Amino acid sequence: MKKSILITGVTSGIGKAIAEELLLDSNIQLFGIGRDRTKIQHLINNNVNFTFINFDLFQIDKVEGLFKEEFNDIKFSGFIHCAGIEETLPISLYTPEKVRSIFQINVFSAIELLRFLSKKKHSLDGASFILMSSVMGELGQAGKVGYCSSKAALLGVVKSLALELSKRVIRVNAVLPGIVNTPLTEKLFEQLDEENVRKIKSMHPIGIGEVSDVVGILMYLLSDKSKWVTGQNFKIDGGYSIQ
Amino acid sequence: MEIEKFLKLLVEELELESPLTVTTNLKELEEWDSMVAMMLIGAVSNEFDMTLSAKDIEEITTVQSLINKIGVEKFS
Repeated sequence: MKKSILITGVTSGIGKAIAEELLLDSNIQLFGIGRDRTKIQHLINNNVNFTFINFDLFQIDKVEGLFKEEFNDIKFSGFIHCAGIEETLPISLYTPEKVRSIFQINVFSAIELLRFLSKKKHSLDGASFILMSSVMGELGQAGKVGYCSSKAALLGVVKSLALELSKRVIRVNAVLPGIVNTPLTEKLFEQLDEENVRKIKSMHPIGIGEVSDVVGILMYLLSDKSKWVTGQNFKIDGGYSIQ
Repeated sequence: MEIEKFLKLLVEELELESPLTVTTNLKELEEWDSMVAMMLIGAVSNEFDMTLSAKDIEEITTVQSLINKIGVEKFS
C-alpha cells in the first residue's frame, strides 16, 4: 500500500524540496497544500503520485471541510508543516492583529490540521508528524517577537502531542533550521542592511544552509529508522546555536 | 439530547472500535485509559457545559452511570 504524506507550504523553500525528494519514491502518495500552483507546476504535471490542494491556511475554519472533501478516505503516514511566515517588527508595532496573523499560519493552522490528523480515521498507527520550527524557536533576535514566539509555541505542541499520541506510536518531532537559503530568507535579508546580513551569515560556522541540507533529517524522521524518536527538537543550523 | 445520539457521539469522540449501549461499562473498554478519560471530560464539557471531576470519572462505570452524572433530565 502506498504511504500517504501531507505537506503544507509545498510551493516553496523546504516544503518544495522535501516534496521533490518524496516524489522520487513511487510508493508515496503526496498531498501538498499551497496557494500558488504555478510555482510547482512541473511537479504537478509530471506526477500521478502528487495531489496539489489550493488552500489558504489563514482560513482555519475551512480545515474541517478540507478533511471531509479532500481527505475523506485517507489515512496519513506522515505530515510536515512547512508553511510559515515571518516578519521583522519592533514590539511597539506588534499589534494584536499582526501577532494573530503570524500565529495563524505558523501555529494555529498546524494545530487545527493535527486535530484531524490525530484521529484514527485520518492517520495510521506509527505515523510521523513533523513541525518545522526554527532555531529562533529556542533563541532570540531583535525584531522577531512574533516569529520567535510562534516557532517556540510549536515546540510545546510537539512535546504535548507526542505524549498524547504515543499510544498509537505516532511520533511528533520538531525540526529547527538555522538560516537556509529560501524565498522566506531572501525576504528577511531584504529587510536588513548589508552589515547585518553579513553578521548573520558569519554566525553560521559552516555557512548558511541550502534547503537540500534539511531534507535528510526530514526523510529520517518520516522513516522507520526514527521509530524510537519522539517529542524532540532537532536543530540543524550549521553550528549557529552552539556559540 | 437523545440517548442514541449521545451513544454515537461518544463512539465518535472517544474513537471507539465498537458501538456502545447504555449498559456498556466504559472502564472495561479496550480503549479505556487516561487519554480516553480526558476525551470524555472534553466531550461532556462541549455538549453539556459541565466539567466532570476526577471523582466523577472514578465513579463512572456504565454509560448509564455517566448519564446519571450528567443528569437524566438532559436526555430524552
